[in-house]
Amino acid sequence: MAAPTATTMRLPVAARIAGGRLGRWAPPLLLAIPLCVAAAAVEGIHAGFPAGWYLGVPRWFDGLNNWVTQNDSTNFFLHTIVSGFGNILNGATNDVVNLLHWMTWVGVLAAATVFAWIVGTWRTALFSALVICSFGVLQIPNGGPNGISQMWPSAMTTLALMTVAIVLSTIVGIPLGIASAIWPTVSRTLQPVLDLMQILPAFAYLVPIVVLFSIGNPAGIVATFIYAVPPLVRFTELGIRSVKKDVIEAAESFGSTRSQLLRNVQLPLAAQAIMLGLNQVIMMALSIVVIASLIGAGGLGDPVLNALQTQQIGEGAVAGLLIVLMAMWLDRSSAAFGQRAARDRAASGRTLTRRQLAGLCGAVLAVILVAHYGLALGDWPAGFGFSFVDQATTALNWVTNAFTGIAGPLSSFLTLHVLNPLQRWFGDVPWFIVAALVGTVGWARGGWRRGVLLAGCVVLLGLMQAPNGYTFQGTTSYNFVAWSDAMETLSLVVVALALDLVVGIPLGIAAYRWRAVDRVLRPILDFLQTLPAFVYLIPVVTLFGVGNVAGVSASLIYALPAAVRATTLGLRAVQHDVIEAGQAFGSTRWQLLFKVELPIARPYLMLAVNQTILLVMAEVVVAGLVGAGGLGLDVVTGFSRSEVGLGAAAGLAMVLMGIVLDRLSQSNPDRGRVATS
Amino acid sequence: MASSETQVSCRDVWKVFGPNAAKVIESGDVDLPRAELMAKTGCTVAARDISFDVRRGEVFVVMGLSGSGKSTLVRCVTRLIEPTSGAIELCGRDVLGAQPKELRELRRTKVAMVFQHFGLFPHRRVIDNVAYGLEVQGIDRDTRYRRARELLGVVGLAPVEASYPDQLSGGMQQRVGLARALAVDPEVLIFDEAFSALDPLIRREMQDEVLRLQERLQKTVIFVTHDLDEALKLGDRIAIMKDGRFVQVGTPAEIVGAPADDYVREFVRDVPRGKVLTAAFATQPHGGEMPDEVVRHDQRLGELLPVVFGAKGPIGVVDGSGELVGILDRRMVVHVLAGREEPSVPEELPA
Ligand SMILES: Nc1ncnc2c1ncn2[C@@H]1O[C@H](COP(=O)(O)OP(=O)(O)O)[C@@H](O)[C@H]1O
Ligand SMILES: [Mg+2]
Repeated sequence: MAAPTATTMRLPVAARIAGGRLGRWAPPLLLAIPLCVAAAAVEGIHAGFPAGWYLGVPRWFDGLNNWVTQNDSTNFFLHTIVSGFGNILNGATNDVVNLLHWMTWVGVLAAATVFAWIVGTWRTALFSALVICSFGVLQIPNGGPNGISQMWPSAMTTLALMTVAIVLSTIVGIPLGIASAIWPTVSRTLQPVLDLMQILPAFAYLVPIVVLFSIGNPAGIVATFIYAVPPLVRFTELGIRSVKKDVIEAAESFGSTRSQLLRNVQLPLAAQAIMLGLNQVIMMALSIVVIASLIGAGGLGDPVLNALQTQQIGEGAVAGLLIVLMAMWLDRSSAAFGQRAARDRAASGRTLTRRQLAGLCGAVLAVILVAHYGLALGDWPAGFGFSFVDQATTALNWVTNAFTGIAGPLSSFLTLHVLNPLQRWFGDVPWFIVAALVGTVGWARGGWRRGVLLAGCVVLLGLMQAPNGYTFQGTTSYNFVAWSDAMETLSLVVVALALDLVVGIPLGIAAYRWRAVDRVLRPILDFLQTLPAFVYLIPVVTLFGVGNVAGVSASLIYALPAAVRATTLGLRAVQHDVIEAGQAFGSTRWQLLFKVELPIARPYLMLAVNQTILLVMAEVVVAGLVGAGGLGLDVVTGFSRSEVGLGAAAGLAMVLMGIVLDRLSQSNPDRGRVATS
Repeated sequence: MASSETQVSCRDVWKVFGPNAAKVIESGDVDLPRAELMAKTGCTVAARDISFDVRRGEVFVVMGLSGSGKSTLVRCVTRLIEPTSGAIELCGRDVLGAQPKELRELRRTKVAMVFQHFGLFPHRRVIDNVAYGLEVQGIDRDTRYRRARELLGVVGLAPVEASYPDQLSGGMQQRVGLARALAVDPEVLIFDEAFSALDPLIRREMQDEVLRLQERLQKTVIFVTHDLDEALKLGDRIAIMKDGRFVQVGTPAEIVGAPADDYVREFVRDVPRGKVLTAAFATQPHGGEMPDEVVRHDQRLGELLPVVFGAKGPIGVVDGSGELVGILDRRMVVHVLAGREEPSVPEELPA
């Protein structure tokens, strides 16, 4: 047989390059390379971002802050709308706090336990009771408000803040979700906003919120709301949308009106999804209590924050434990509440008649009334508890001692040989190379618009910096260089991400491959995913002290469950018949994994990378609280020195960085589809 | 146009899916082949210039392969899918001109549908499913439960009224669907491949159930199916649909005995012709006197075989009133049953 001629050989290859994967890289590279050469020629090659280029963003925010302070009482928007709203939130919080105190500790205990029993099993009820008791029993010397040792009042305050934030999220989130499900335009408008809200680290919007609402409970509630509401909107919309089309059609064929359709068919069928969303809201709200304390929301977050800032780790651990317990309690109770509908339907398990329900409620009310009026009880009595700090400190010390042989060298190795070089290396790259790189990758993955947008974000990020010698209210500020701080943050993100993927993806594969691994991992992951972000800071600070290594380790642990889960989920989503086909050809188990399952699960793995990046980034900036450098530390510093402008500019830089990292790692725009499976 | 007995009447109904659908019809692009039309305009034609009438009490079957446009067409009748152009009358009311309120009224009281995948409400008990149509009309709870129980009795599901749909078998679920449609006492019933998802035995059972109910209730029925046997069994008249067009409309005997084109012929090739074709298909005109042996024109040829080959003399064919319409041609009987030769259809084929 004649050998194929050179042209027939080459043609398909050329065509493939032009039209295929490589072809996507050609146009952006053709633009980016000359631009880089030009920039280098004009500007010269030097590290980072030119110091003389800035937009003056800190000054804008400082100006805005001044203006708000001066016009607080005269401007209609500030006075009536913002302050009015703030007052409502404050009033509601106080009302709930007062109600909880009025109920007395016995009443709270009874109500929580009975509720848990109604919606769940006796285990749920027992667990709730134990958690409520722990609020009283576990104490911190001088840890509570006004220097008392009890945590009960703090716990009630947190509970009240949670209640108000959750109610606010519900009355805004569910209608928005319904509207998005009904009107595509609403959905289209809302999607990018929700996207942004979900990629923003909470730190990014703390400063603007404080500018508007000033330090206090309302600011904390608004921050919690922004952080927590997106999943509720998404779940509501998704729940309504995923009602089967033939069911809707059947309802329409009988002449249902729009609202009958919604009430009789769509909402009931979406109820479970909505409850899942609400459960998410609760979990997210609890994960932000410490951050909310940074802007003046009281409660259990305060002692944690204090402990982190003053290195009194034992006290932080106790307060953190109480928050975790509260999270687990609310998680279980709300999850049980959500599953109730389904359980009633299957007519298995316990169902209570209206009578019985009313009886139980009456009994709880009676307990409350007797406790309040009859026994004149109040908050948890101080004597029914003890300081738990010594035990916590002992436990943490034990951990520290046990691992100190590893932790010390590990920490210095990471610092000296990984983090510092990486940070230096990132910092040395000229800004236009970074912009060109980001633009090229963005273009290749998502079209020229995305490329240009992302390159623009990179430049804008550099422009966030304060000019040299920026003064604020007469005193010279610290030197805020957004570029180098972002590069420091980036180096932390990259290291944590790399470790996460190296550990997480094999773990995910193992959980998919071996049932036993899955059985062991599942409860651990479940537990880790209910832990609020800041909790991870406590042990890592004990082990590594404040600084970048603590930040990286906390981020690593925080994002690991998501990396493992998404990998397993992606592999599970591979259709069974495809696997069967692979088996029919006699593939070994590993051939099947590498030739069939992993390639098919690729979009999910990309999603795992995307989620991991966002989680890592969120935790890296929160780790600013424990001295991890970069943009997070800028926000913390901004707060501690009351430099609003710098804090806000650092927050904006975070937004830009978040957008860039998210879009670069996102190849599958259809987040909702995967997120629900 | 529509006689007083006509319950459903469609005139020149078009449905084009895609952008600028109305323009596509006017421009004549609709005559392009499917793929070309899609490439040029992004449109798909699901119903092409369809006209038909269904009389009161008649079972009108729409039959065609998957994708031929059956579901789209029957949804146009109640505007669950908005037709692109045409005119539709339902129980004497103009459907396309109806305001939303009027349209809802029509859907609530005049017409009900049974769906291929049942379309039951998974969160409602069987009885609440059946009562749904009455509930949206605002009928009080006791009345609608009474009515729902009555219908559940009719379809033999009284014992499971408190179950949820997913606890029932497919056949039982579709009985619920049927009861739900009947509960509003509609004048017109639409079945969209209602039995296609069921096992063959259950399907036959459901078909018998429909025939039994139809005998009693005499509803006007539009029945969509892709199953020729089902069409022949249930239909008073059958419309064969292909690529959005009716290629033939006629009684089962007409469809099998006188296919309009090769497409229909191919379709009906394997039908046991003796069970469908009637004496009329093998009748020659005859002016003479009444023979000794006579058969009715609408008797199936299959049943007549003993007579045809047992009788000595000529066999007369009489119509409903006993008038002689011709004689049965033995050669023709053989040809018709073998399907070898195009039988000549009598000018006036008695219905
Ligand atoms: N919503 C729609 N949008 C676009 N095309 C549709 C839509 N619904 C149906 N079609 C197309 O119309 C044609 C007829 O579909 P359908 O009425 O469902 O056929 P059948 O019920 O006979 O299987 C098919 O080619 C189908 O692809
Ligand atoms: Mg169909």
